[in-house]
Amino acid sequence: MYYYILDPNHLDQATFERKHVELQGLLAEFKITGEIGRVTSLRSIQDLVETASDRGVKTLIACGTDDTFNLMLSALHGRDFTLGFIPLDDTSYLSRILGLDSIHTAVKTIAARRIEKIDLAIMGQTYFISYVEFGIIASKLKNLSWWNSMKALNIPKHSITIRIDNSYTMEIDCLGGMVANTRSTSSKDMSIANPTDGFLDLLILEKLGRLDIGRYKDLIAEGLLEQIPGTSVIKCRKVEFLEPRGMGLTMAGRVFAKMPTSIEIIPLRLRLIVGKARTF
Amino acid sequence: MDKDMMNDAAETVVGPSVKIQGDLNSEGNIRIEGSVAGKVKTSQNVMVGESAKIAADINAGSATLAGEVQGNLKISGNLILQSTARVNGDITCAILRVEDGAQFTGKCTMGGAPVAAGKVKPEPELEQ
Repeated sequence: MYYYILDPNHLDQATFERKHVELQGLLAEFKITGEIGRVTSLRSIQDLVETASDRGVKTLIACGTDDTFNLMLSALHGRDFTLGFIPLDDTSYLSRILGLDSIHTAVKTIAARRIEKIDLAIMGQTYFISYVEFGIIASKLKNLSWWNSMKALNIPKHSITIRIDNSYTMEIDCLGGMVANTRSTSSKDMSIANPTDGFLDLLILEKLGRLDIGRYKDLIAEGLLEQIPGTSVIKCRKVEFLEPRGMGLTMAGRVFAKMPTSIEIIPLRLRLIVGKARTF
Repeated sequence: MDKDMMNDAAETVVGPSVKIQGDLNSEGNIRIEGSVAGKVKTSQNVMVGESAKIAADINAGSATLAGEVQGNLKISGNLILQSTARVNGDITCAILRVEDGAQFTGKCTMGGAPVAAGKVKPEPELEQ
């Protein structure tokens, strides 16, 4: 049985209602109707996951924005579900990762039940399948003009101390970086950000000169840091951010944790319904 | 060393401003441009760039050195010391290639008895 968590948050009312109607039509057409739990001010995603668990539901589908999926992941607390995602937001980066470019594709994919086991990353109490950033934020950079992005990248460097796999400590002066499980630009053939390899990829961008900022701005905005000369690339199972205290770690532009904190990978922990056009 | 080729092949890359303290273990190729103090271990290839400073023992499948290494090297395959390499430590490897200008102080073992670098005795002249 499917349990749909329908989340209107971060969507304007008219868009949500239109997409809701489209979704209900498609669920009926593909014969995958189930119970729909709508997120309200009185019923959080956490409450809906509890309800689904009590009813013995095996498949949870998040319908909403990337936040809906991320909050649903956080609410699982280790419980065993097969997960799916139906994006109601055109700017969703998770939909690109999972190969679900529209509501129609997402519903069709869920009906086909193409399930992949993928790695799950955990940062404090927050589970995620994508990536977290520190220092520079690629998604914000993407929306800036050329001049403003040059200014945004021409900032003092951060001195960061990181411990890797309880084995060694790194000290680095950098602009920022990311810890990636997967991302919208990864692919199965690439070793970076492959969510089935059992590793996290730590990418750290060093301070760049003005010429290099201009040359590599687009790559930074795409999150393809490993293609920039001088970038450190570390494959690991555990990353502990020790210094500087208070520096934020962001997911989709929102701060989810502050240093000191740690991120670990749980290999092939998650069963996820994915599309043909997924990036891994 | 062909930097582009190194970028493509390396699974772990230590950038120029990185300082590592501890045991750097990897299952793939490692490229080091920064500083490492501790140990470096992989079954694959280690590439040490010109700006790198390593104060560590290196245990690897093969290695190409262009920077400074203070420590012992145990390489099961090929070891290449490029012209800018400075090695202070003992070397154990299967095949060794030393380019003009490379500096090496220590003992070298290649599947047999060790030979001290810079202290090789000249062969005695044959009596007529």
